[in-house]
Amino acid sequence: MRRSRPRLFVALDAGSVSGGAVAWSAAGFRLASHARVPLPEGALVPAPFAPNVVRPAEVADALRELARTLRIGAAPVCLLLPDGIARLARLEVPADVTPQQYARFRIVPGLPYPAEEAVIDVLPLAGGRAVVAAVRRAVVEGYEAVAAQSGLAQDRLDLTPLAALSGLLRDPGDARALTVDVILGDAAFCLAAHQGGALRALRNRRRDPGPDEDRRLAEEVQRTAFLAGDGAGPRVRVVGDGAGDLLARWRHTGGAAEPGWRSAEPSAGAEASELAWLGGAVA
Amino acid sequence: MTERDFSTRPRRRAARPLDLALLAVGAAALLLSAYATVNAWNGRQRARARVEETRNELQAAQSRVRELEAQREPAQAVAYQALLTVEAPPPSVLADLVALMPGDVRLDAVNLSYGEPLGVRVDVVARNAPAYDLFLDRLQRSPRFADVLPGDENRDGELRTSIQMTYRPR
Repeated sequence: MRRSRPRLFVALDAGSVSGGAVAWSAAGFRLASHARVPLPEGALVPAPFAPNVVRPAEVADALRELARTLRIGAAPVCLLLPDGIARLARLEVPADVTPQQYARFRIVPGLPYPAEEAVIDVLPLAGGRAVVAAVRRAVVEGYEAVAAQSGLAQDRLDLTPLAALSGLLRDPGDARALTVDVILGDAAFCLAAHQGGALRALRNRRRDPGPDEDRRLAEEVQRTAFLAGDGAGPRVRVVGDGAGDLLARWRHTGGAAEPGWRSAEPSAGAEASELAWLGGAVA
Repeated sequence: MTERDFSTRPRRRAARPLDLALLAVGAAALLLSAYATVNAWNGRQRARARVEETRNELQAAQSRVRELEAQREPAQAVAYQALLTVEAPPPSVLADLVALMPGDVRLDAVNLSYGEPLGVRVDVVARNAPAYDLFLDRLQRSPRFADVLPGDENRDGELRTSIQMTYRPR
């Protein structure tokens, strides 16, 4: 069975930094190692415009502890930035232009900061479509600085929601039925509706934790399915921190959903669906 | 396929022989296109002069029409304006306009003048000239819009221009 070589990932979010060495095969993800270090509240606040790393020393300490636990050393790591910092959009890209160039035309003029401050990259999709993401340069630089401060050797830098989406679209499921994927971040979440590998709707919302968030998330799933042209009982998958608890609570109230992915093998004490950034291993 | 990378200082790799060959081909293409551009430029200048002449004539005719319209009874103009606001509210006009826009065209500004007729002026940005031409063509064929008058075009990279037209309520 074809399997990718293990690669090192380090993901940051409001509540914790986590990471590990991950390989991917058709049977699922294989976590060679995994660790998670909680962050003090307010040390890192994912946001699209303001600096995210509020208390760099505390974030750098957590990253150093993570690197020690995972024995990363000088190996280059892929940094994954949290949901809630980028402007995401699904575009149909003309044939004579790259998705990045087209995003600069369609998305960047609507951003509330100068065009030259936007760092843009894309998740290419089938049929000339792409998901584009624009992040403010100053926001990215804050993450890069704290990674460098902690001694991590940065390889590339990706966004967790895009990494997760690329992993989820590798297994699009039944081509006759709509699937809605929920990608949970600490500060924001993504909803992606697709059928037969074609992404029909993509939504990105801020989290609003509270006693009725489960119900509101379920309503957002239905809204997304409706936007995608099928409001009748889509297949629902969830990945990200808290996915297991959310699935259990939804099941308790009669909802039907499943983990977005599973580990191919017993995996270093972590439930694969809790780690949205695992999708980066298939990119 | 290149992996996504949002780094502010993306990794760089050394140039390969293929890169250098492509660079040489690109330089040759640049020289060729420069020659073609000079030829096209001369033709364009002549065409622009003709367009300008026609535009001046059209503007003179429109000024005359406006003068005649201004002589109408004020009460009648107000009544017509009220009727238009009901029959063609801004969301409807905008929806009809957006329905004609190719993906490569976006609007930077829209100005609606509720008079008789309902005047629409849009500031348009098109990613390329064919997309703009397609938008103009759609506007001219649309039963909702009439008297489509394109403004001066700025073709410095993206095409920027404004278009004046009138709207026909349903």
